[in-house]
Amino acid sequence: MDRRAFIKLSALTGSAATLAGCGSPENHVIRFVPDDEIVPGIAQWKPGICPLCQAGCGLQVRVMDADAEVVRNGQRGMMKVAAAKKLEGAASNPINRGGLCPRGQAAIQITYHPDRITHPLKRSGPRGSGAFREVSWEEALAELAGRLDALAGAGAPTLAILTRPRRNLRQTLVATFLERFGAPSPLTYELFGDDVLRRANAISFGREQMPTFDLTRSNYVIGFGADFLGTWNSPVSQSAGYGAMRSGRPGARGRFVQVEARMSQTGASADEWIPVRPGTEGVLALGLAHVIINEQHRPPEAAGTAGALIEGFAGGLADYAPDEVAQRTGVAAARIARLARDFVERRPSVAIIGGAPLAPTNGLFHALAVNALNALAGSVGQPGGLFFMPQAGAPPAGRGGLDQAAAGLLSSADPPIQLLLIDEANPVFTAPAAWKVREALEKVPYIASFACFLDETSVLADLILPDHSFLESWVDARPESGALVAVAAAAPPAMRPLHSTRAMPDVLLDLSRRLQTPFDPPLPETFDAMLSESFASLPESEAGDAWTVAQTDGAWSGDLPQADPAARPAREPVRFVEAQFDGDAAQYPFHFLPYPSQAFLDGSTAHLPWLQELPDPLTSAMWSTWVEIGSEAAARLSIREGDMVEITSSQGSVRAPAIVSPGLAPDVVAMPVGQGHETFTRYASGRGSNPIAILAPMREPDTGALAWAGTRVRVARAGAPEGRLILFAGQMRDIEARER
Amino acid sequence: MPHKWGLAVDLDACTGCGACVTACHAENNIPTVGPDQAARGRAMHWIRIERYWEGEFPDVRLRFRPVMCQQCDNAPCEPVCPTYASHHTEEGLNAQVYNRCIGTRYCANACPYNVRFFEFFNPVWEKPLHLQLNPDVSVREVGVMEKCTFCVQRINAGKIQAKAEARELADGDIKPACAQSCPSKALVFGDASDPDSAVSKLRRSSRGAGLLEDLGTRPNVTYFPRHTEA
Repeated sequence: MDRRAFIKLSALTGSAATLAGCGSPENHVIRFVPDDEIVPGIAQWKPGICPLCQAGCGLQVRVMDADAEVVRNGQRGMMKVAAAKKLEGAASNPINRGGLCPRGQAAIQITYHPDRITHPLKRSGPRGSGAFREVSWEEALAELAGRLDALAGAGAPTLAILTRPRRNLRQTLVATFLERFGAPSPLTYELFGDDVLRRANAISFGREQMPTFDLTRSNYVIGFGADFLGTWNSPVSQSAGYGAMRSGRPGARGRFVQVEARMSQTGASADEWIPVRPGTEGVLALGLAHVIINEQHRPPEAAGTAGALIEGFAGGLADYAPDEVAQRTGVAAARIARLARDFVERRPSVAIIGGAPLAPTNGLFHALAVNALNALAGSVGQPGGLFFMPQAGAPPAGRGGLDQAAAGLLSSADPPIQLLLIDEANPVFTAPAAWKVREALEKVPYIASFACFLDETSVLADLILPDHSFLESWVDARPESGALVAVAAAAPPAMRPLHSTRAMPDVLLDLSRRLQTPFDPPLPETFDAMLSESFASLPESEAGDAWTVAQTDGAWSGDLPQADPAARPAREPVRFVEAQFDGDAAQYPFHFLPYPSQAFLDGSTAHLPWLQELPDPLTSAMWSTWVEIGSEAAARLSIREGDMVEITSSQGSVRAPAIVSPGLAPDVVAMPVGQGHETFTRYASGRGSNPIAILAPMREPDTGALAWAGTRVRVARAGAPEGRLILFAGQMRDIEARER
Repeated sequence: MPHKWGLAVDLDACTGCGACVTACHAENNIPTVGPDQAARGRAMHWIRIERYWEGEFPDVRLRFRPVMCQQCDNAPCEPVCPTYASHHTEEGLNAQVYNRCIGTRYCANACPYNVRFFEFFNPVWEKPLHLQLNPDVSVREVGVMEKCTFCVQRINAGKIQAKAEARELADGDIKPACAQSCPSKALVFGDASDPDSAVSKLRRSSRGAGLLEDLGTRPNVTYFPRHTEA
C-alpha cells in the first residue's frame, strides 16, 4: 500500500462517522488526498511564460497549497490543490532579466478570474445575446467535428481561423491544421501591430523582423514616438537596458531624447522631450542625417542600402536642410543641428521608431528614414545599437487583411467563410467600427471560439470551447526581439486546471483525429510532444539538451547563426509624401491619437481588477477612460479638467471626461485604448468608451495595416463633470499643504 | 549587529511603469476597492508612483517618484498609537500589528507621507480570486490600518532559509516584491548595517536624500534624483 492509498483509507475509516452528518462525504474524502507534491506552507517555483504580449517574458510561478473547489473526474468538491500564488520575472531569462511589467504581474488574475468560462457552451439564444447553455466536451467536440466534416466534403477553403499574430508553436499548429485541411493560412489581426516596421526592416536590412536595442551599451538614444519603456515591442527587456544605460555604468550615463506629439510614459523619462508635428517624424530623422552628412561626420555611403533607398541620400539630402525641416516638423533648425551632432559625437547611439509615427498613411517612410539614420551612424549590428535577434525556428505564416475578409463576407450572398474558429482575438473591440467586423461575423454560418472569457467577439460564437489559462497548460514562445541571443521558451503547466476547460492546442489535435478523413500524415498525439520535437534541432548546452533546459528554466537561450538577410527587391527611392488624414482640417481641427494604455494595451487586459485600479502613470486615472487635451486648446474651448467632452470624427463620436495635459501638441487630442468594453467580465463591461470605434478606415498602402493615427476629429465640451474620472488622490501631505 | 533594512530608489532609472504597484498588490493581499471607493480616495496602494509636471508646453518635464512607507527611524506614526499597534522593530521597521489595531487612524493622520491605508470595509475577493492570496501575509479586516512592511514575510523567509542552510544572509537574498519586479532595477533593497551591501554603498553617496527630511523623521528610504543635463 502506498502513502496515498493509506491516507485515503485512514481518512475514510477515521472520519466516516463524523462525515455522515455533514453533507456530501466525497467532498471531505478527496480533501484528504492532495496532489502528492504539495507540502503545506512550502512554496515551489515553476517556470512559466507571460501570455499578455508578444515579448515572451519568462516567469517564475510561486506554487503553494490552497483549498479550492474544483472538478476532478467529473465531480465537484473541495480539495487541496497546488495553486499559483505569484508571478515573478525569471532572472535567467535573457529577455526580461528578472523583471516584469504591471500587466505581467496581474496576469495571474486571468487564472482565478470569477468570470472565466468554466465549461463548453453552446449558444441558446440569438447571436450576441449572451445566452448559452452548458454542454459536455464530448457533445461540443462531436458537433464541431461534424461541421468540419461537412466542410471537407463541400471543399475545404471555407474554413478560417482568426488569431492574433503570434510567434509560437500554438500558431504553427494552427497553420499546420489549416494547411492539412486545405484551408488558407490563419487570418491574423493586431490593432497595434508592427507590420509597417517589419516591412521597413525587410526593405532596409533584409530582415522582416522587429529590432532589438542594445540599450545597456548605448550612450545616446533618440526615440521617435516609441513607447519602448511602457507598451511597445519588448518593454521589460528595453526597460532593463534603459536602467543599465542610466545607472549601470560608473561615470557614464546615456542620454535619451524623445520626439513625439504626445508625451508618453517613455517620453516622461527623456532628458529632452521634443514635440513634433504628427506625420513628420521621418522628416526630422532625415534632417539629422542631412546635418551629419553635410558637416562631414559620416559619408552617405556609410548608410549602405538603407540610405540608398531614400531619394537624394547620396547627394546629401538637399531637400532636408534644417530650415526646411524646421518648417515641416515644427522643431527649430538650431535644435536639429545640435541633435545631429550629439547623435554622431556621442556614439554608440541608436534611434528607435515605433507606435504613432508608423500609424499615419506615410508610416513606412518614417520607418525607412529612421533606419537610414541608424545605418548612417553605424549603429546597426554594433554594440549599443540596433540588432536583429537570431531566431530559433521560423515564424509561422499568417495573413492580415481582416478588413478585406469582413468586406468579402458582407458583399457576397454565399459567405466565403462558412466556419470560423477564433483563438485569442477580439477584433469586434479592436477593429474600427468602419470595418464592420461585427456585422461580417454575424454573416458567418458557424463560429466556434476558444475564449476563456465572454468578450465582444466570443459572445457571437455558436460554440465556445474554453481554453485552459496559461498557468494550466503547456505554453511556448519564440520571441522575435528583446535579447541578443536566440530564445526558445516552453513551460509545462504550473498547476492543474480549476475548471472543466481544455488546452486549445490539444483540442485542435483531438479534432484532427475525429475527422472522417483523418490527416495524412497525422498530427502528433499531444501538444507537448510537438513542443519537444520542435526543440530537437536546437544545440545542447552544459545543462543538457534544449528541451530539458527549457522545461526546467522555462527557456532555452543560446547563440545561433544569424540567417542571411533576405534579398531586397529593387525599389524606387522613397521620398516624403504628406500623410493623408481622414477629415479636413477646417471641420476636424485636431489629430486624434489613440494610444495603447499602460494597463490595458489594446484592451485585452481590461478585465483584470488590479490593472483597473492601477493609476495611469501620466494622469493617475483608475477605472476610467479620458481624453487628453493640451492646456492651450482646453482654454480656447473652455474645457476644464473632468468636464465631459465629445470627440467627433467622420465615423462617429465618443464621450469621455477631459484631462488637461501640458504634454500634448496644441493640435492633438489623445485617448487611451482599453476601456469601453460592452461585454468583457464584471470589471470591464460598460466602463468608459472605446476610441477605436471612431477611427476612419485609413491604411498604410504598402502593408495594408490600419493607419490608426490617420484620423482627424473635432472636440466640443459636452457638459459638466459626471464623476466618471477617478484620479488617485495619494500624495504627500506636506506637498498638498504647500500647494494650498 | 541587528539588521537594519533600507531601500534606495534610483529616480534616474525609474520609468514610472507601475510594475511595483501591481507586484505589491499581488504579494501583500491588498484588496482592490472598486471605482466607487476609489473615487472617494480609498484606493489602497502601499506603493504609489507620484508624478510631477514641470514647465509648460513645449518645455515640459514630468518626474516620477515611487513612494512607499519610509520606515522612519523617528516615525511620527508610532508614538500616537494608543494600542502600540504601530511600533518599531529591532530591525528598524515601522511594523503594524493588525490584531492590536483598533482603527483610531491617528497614525495615518500623523504620517506625512500618506502611506497608511485604512480598511473601510471588509475586503472582497470574488471567488476564485481568493485562491491567489499569499498565505504568508495576513488578510486585514475592516477597521484596521495597513501599510508597506518592506515585505517582512520575505525578510523572515530569507532569514529562515539562510539559517536552514547554516550560512549568513547574503546581500540580495531578500527582495521585496516591488524591487523584485522592477524592470529597470531602480529599487535596491538591503541591510544598511552591512557596510558592503549595495544599499549601504548607495546610502553613503552624497547624492541621496530622504523625503521631507526636514521633518526629522529620519527615513530609511533614500532617493537618488534624476540627473539633469543642460
